[in-house]
Amino acid sequence: MQRDIRKWFMKAHDKGNDNAATNAEKKPPPTEPKTETPVCGGQEGSGRRKTSKYFAANKQKQKEDKEVEDLPAKRKAQNDGVQSVKPPPSKKVHKVDDEEEDDDFSLPKKKNDASPSKKLKSSSGRGIAQKPVHVNESDEDDVKDTESPLKSGGRGRGGRGVSGAPSGGRGRGGGRGGFMNFGERKDPPHKGEKEVPEGAPNCLAGLTFVISGTLDSLEREEAEDLIKRHGGRVTGSVSKKTSYLLCDEDIEGRKSSKAKELGTPFLTEDGLFDKILSSKNSKAPAREDSKVSVEKVASLPKKSPKKADLKSSSLMSNAAHKDLGAGSQQAKQKDQAIQRSSLIWTEKYRPKVPNEMIGNPSLVTQLHNWLKNWNEQFHDTGNKGKGKKQNDSTAKKAVLLSGPPGIGKTTSAKLVSKMLGFQAIEVNASDNRGKADAKIFKGISGSNANCIKELISNEALGFEMDRSKHLKTVLIMDEVDGMSAGDRGGVADLIASIKISKIPIICICNDRYSQKLKSLVNYCLLLSFRKPTKQQMAKRLTQVANAEGLQVNEIALEELAERVNGDMRMALNQLQYMSLSMPVINYDDVRQRLQGSAKDEDISPFTAVDKLFGFSGGKLRMDERIDLSMSDPDLVPLLIQENYINYRPSSIGKDDNGMKRMSLIARAAESIADGDIINVQIRRYRQWQLSQTGSLSSCIIPAALLHGSRETLEQGERNFNRFGGWLGKNSTAGKNLRLLEDLHVHLLASRESNMGRETLRLDYLTVLLKQLTDPLRVLPKDEAVEKVVEFMNVYSISQEDMDTIVELSKFQGHGNPLDGIPSTVKAALTRSYKEERKSRMVRAADLVTLPGKKAPKKRVAVILEPSDDGLREENGDALAESEEENSSDIEDMEGTGNGEKLQSELQSLNSKGIQVEVELKCGKESSKSKKTPTGRGKGGSASSEKKPAGRGRGGSGSSEKPGAKRKR
Amino acid sequence: MLWVDKYRPKTLDQVIVHQETAENLKKLVTEQDCPHLLFYGPSGSGKKTLIMALLRQIFGTSAEKVKVENRTWKIDAGSRTIDLELTTLSSTNHVELSPSDAGFQDRYIVQEIIKEMAKNRPIDTKGKKGYKVLVLNEVDKLSREAQHSLRRTMEKYSASCRLILCCNSSSKVTEAIRSRCLNVRINAPKEEQIVKVLEFIGKKEGLQLPPGFAARVADKSNRSLRRAILSFETCRVQQYPFSSNQAIPPMDWEEYVSEICSDIMREQSPKRLFQVRGKLYELLINCIPPEIILKKLLSELLKKLDEELKHEVCHWAAYYEHRMRMGQKAIFHLEAFVAKFMSIYKAFLIATFG
Repeated sequence: MQRDIRKWFMKAHDKGNDNAATNAEKKPPPTEPKTETPVCGGQEGSGRRKTSKYFAANKQKQKEDKEVEDLPAKRKAQNDGVQSVKPPPSKKVHKVDDEEEDDDFSLPKKKNDASPSKKLKSSSGRGIAQKPVHVNESDEDDVKDTESPLKSGGRGRGGRGVSGAPSGGRGRGGGRGGFMNFGERKDPPHKGEKEVPEGAPNCLAGLTFVISGTLDSLEREEAEDLIKRHGGRVTGSVSKKTSYLLCDEDIEGRKSSKAKELGTPFLTEDGLFDKILSSKNSKAPAREDSKVSVEKVASLPKKSPKKADLKSSSLMSNAAHKDLGAGSQQAKQKDQAIQRSSLIWTEKYRPKVPNEMIGNPSLVTQLHNWLKNWNEQFHDTGNKGKGKKQNDSTAKKAVLLSGPPGIGKTTSAKLVSKMLGFQAIEVNASDNRGKADAKIFKGISGSNANCIKELISNEALGFEMDRSKHLKTVLIMDEVDGMSAGDRGGVADLIASIKISKIPIICICNDRYSQKLKSLVNYCLLLSFRKPTKQQMAKRLTQVANAEGLQVNEIALEELAERVNGDMRMALNQLQYMSLSMPVINYDDVRQRLQGSAKDEDISPFTAVDKLFGFSGGKLRMDERIDLSMSDPDLVPLLIQENYINYRPSSIGKDDNGMKRMSLIARAAESIADGDIINVQIRRYRQWQLSQTGSLSSCIIPAALLHGSRETLEQGERNFNRFGGWLGKNSTAGKNLRLLEDLHVHLLASRESNMGRETLRLDYLTVLLKQLTDPLRVLPKDEAVEKVVEFMNVYSISQEDMDTIVELSKFQGHGNPLDGIPSTVKAALTRSYKEERKSRMVRAADLVTLPGKKAPKKRVAVILEPSDDGLREENGDALAESEEENSSDIEDMEGTGNGEKLQSELQSLNSKGIQVEVELKCGKESSKSKKTPTGRGKGGSASSEKKPAGRGRGGSGSSEKPGAKRKR
Repeated sequence: MLWVDKYRPKTLDQVIVHQETAENLKKLVTEQDCPHLLFYGPSGSGKKTLIMALLRQIFGTSAEKVKVENRTWKIDAGSRTIDLELTTLSSTNHVELSPSDAGFQDRYIVQEIIKEMAKNRPIDTKGKKGYKVLVLNEVDKLSREAQHSLRRTMEKYSASCRLILCCNSSSKVTEAIRSRCLNVRINAPKEEQIVKVLEFIGKKEGLQLPPGFAARVADKSNRSLRRAILSFETCRVQQYPFSSNQAIPPMDWEEYVSEICSDIMREQSPKRLFQVRGKLYELLINCIPPEIILKKLLSELLKKLDEELKHEVCHWAAYYEHRMRMGQKAIFHLEAFVAKFMSIYKAFLIATFG
């Protein structure tokens, strides 16, 4: 468990770093899926468009024309109707809409967890259908809207309905960004009040936007989505390529100042809407506009040509072939493109030269250098003599490539070795890689492992042959972290191999921090591959797409790259799959396609909770929710429990007095408590079949009730999910309980009281505290100290116990119980307590932990007599009973009746590191409870036999054989 | 030494409060063989005192010479071995332990440790009683399984061993166990009885008691004699000579709970709920048992509530307490109760005051 948590922290951290690093271009992963859902809204539109795209571009245009013409007509009709009735209250017509929509919306909200998909779809579908009307409205009213936002109440809601469905990405501002996204962005002032326009699909193509500050009505994610859907790009920071800076208020940030410096034009949200709308309304200007933009972009370096390609048609794809990647590949590809070989793309487009590798160029170079120098480094010195070997301490004989799957580790290893003329021998998880037989040196081969051994140790054979012709070999150990049970001793053997190896070894793994590889890491040069950026990937994907004659715009490819989370192989697979069904792929297709099949990545509980509670958490499918809550069935419920109060549920709508929210919280709290009960059943009675029910009630129901925007409850709290407090509090409570138990045992050992632990805490503690501290405040110093120490002695309270009492009486918001006691008095108390302790010789050896490995651990509170006392008074007729309580404990020590012995015993105990806390028990019994040494010995043994099994031997029993204890 | 311990009756004869019960117990052990006993009654009513006095009656002074042991037991539970740590308090003739300390593993304590203890017949040198006594505290906290395992032990080894069970509520002890025991109900002392005890202590200590002071202490004690004596002594530490209107300091945690209560009454909002959670955690960290917190919270709330809500709130408190015992993470249930209360109370406020 603990390790898991640590792992997560690490992961979360990693992720955070990742984010930070790539923040500029990338949305942090947690936000993605939230924006996924809206696609169902967009689907209709895109679906229609899709069909048209099977035709040639011209036809498409025509059709679009028709559509565009069609729509205004319809719109006009309706609009006329509305306006002719009553110009100002366009509300009336809308009200009907509103109500309908309200219905639709409230229904799924109530049940959205049970059957979200259908309802939502229908409602969103309607949203789209109604759109044209609204679009027109907003177009005219936009200005008015901003001026008098309050008036638009009814309409605003309608608008929300519509915009909510297709975009949905409206999250909870900054907080949802997950772990590292600290800043809190304000909600847009007129959130959801404007219609989100829909324009021609590529009307923003070639334009690059940077969003800054808070927009008027759109959340940033919505805006991004909108722009991307219309073919534009969104980047994180302003550069020369930026066409517009999208912002509604000049917030004098870095972005706006940079934009001013570069002369980038500013664009308001309304401006953006106009732009999009105009592309649709008046077709001609829009076309021109986009053409202009294409031309404009065309003048820009690099990416633009491809874009132009895409825009134009597949005719260009042939041309694109020509400017495709370098060297040998080209010819090959052409052939392949023509014959449409059945080779899967991942193999087909595997990089053939190192330059084709995407990302991590420096690592590839490093690998290259390492391999190139390997022979000089190890071979030559090896020739000279073994003594000199490895004089360069930094040089490692093996290299360990690590990184997530699909980013080209194996490929680069192969490429580099090929380039340097090495013959690569790959051993991967499909081979048995167990420990080689020791016999290998005797020349018996058979198992694969033995082959490896032979391989690495057999270079000598190679020398005998013609050295110049001899192919140098390199061993690639792929998937070393997959060495598991079957490959017993694999890693150790690998290390041994590395030590004696005469050929370079390249190891490849996914998780460098894996426990299995801990030892291996020391022997390897570590190269950690990073994920390529989405731009890099998109570039390469574009090449591939062009080579395959596929029409994909770059935005779509970037989206694809983002969705697959840096996995090039997966991106290619997806692309190939999509190419089977459609020759033209655009942004929406990618989103739709990958929505379900998004890569199964390791989600941290934080991400999971973010998603569950996110603004669009209600739109997640049930299986997604289960996946999220099952990502860690222990930690996610704790996080949910910790944070559910913070969410302002989006499902309740208007909630003046917080009543609805409170009752939802109560329901959620009950459900969480249900989860706890189920958890008990699961853990205690191993009813694992309940685990889904458990996660349903501890995560999914609360999240479904309360998902919405997060707000802070405390001043200065950061608006992101806290780590569950329960673990910490529980462990503190456990610690305090142990301390209390110690105190309890001490009090019991004093034999003055016989209370239970609970009673001690509930009733006694306050009084004990008063008795221990009040005199220190009131009385003069010496008197007080004396009194307190005496009290402590009576109840055999040690200093630690006193600390416990104080600790347990502390309550947040109340003063420290020790306040008001001068420090001199405290010091005096400590001193006097210690002195008292010194003056007594032997005492309640309290809770001695018995040494000895075999003996069951046993701590005994023993009351030992002051030894001089015990020796002097030899009362033969002492009561057997009264003696027992200590004799049984100290009989072994005192068996000889020798005080010195006792002392030395104790000292030896002490020297053994056993803490023998001595406290004087100068009770009345002690004086009369002595008897002759012989008698004691006897009585002791008798009593010990009489003792019930539970009573083992006393404090010094350690010196005794443990077997005796067992016997009893 | 605290008065509560100093003036604790050591023998059945010295008992002030439950004299009649004490008489009966005395007769029981002197005249005939002692059966298994089940003492139940609210805390602070004198169960433990009576048990100790009874033991003394049976075994003489040796019962007072106790030894505390904190020992780890290795228990073989089929596939694995479990380490259990258990504190026992033992004299020659009796062993006292709280099996419920082991949490949900209490079953093993009953099955292994108690059984083993019960099995061994004491070797009695002096020909006194032919049995020993096991005192089990907090039997009501034993899990069902543990209680079931206890049944057989009680019957099988009754020749060599008597069990004295001690708990607050007999309702949580299974029928089977109750029927195997002689049930002794120890009532909470009446206030007059508490006053009597306080006056007795006052006399012994030579204190001047202002009229009505003892009655006020008794009143505040919630009919727990222990609580009464302890707060009596606290008052003594705080201020002497007593004044008749002297404040009787509440227990620290009770004070805190009532603070929480007034927090809840003042405002019902997520923010407040969050703060309350922090305070509840604070109580739990300080080892206050969650059941006690809930009970106290309810009684504090009831003081301030309108009549019509009382019933409903009680219902929910009972509901959540039940669930708390089934669950494991007490805070979840406490919080659920608070949230529920807030939601009810808020609705009520809105309905009444708009």
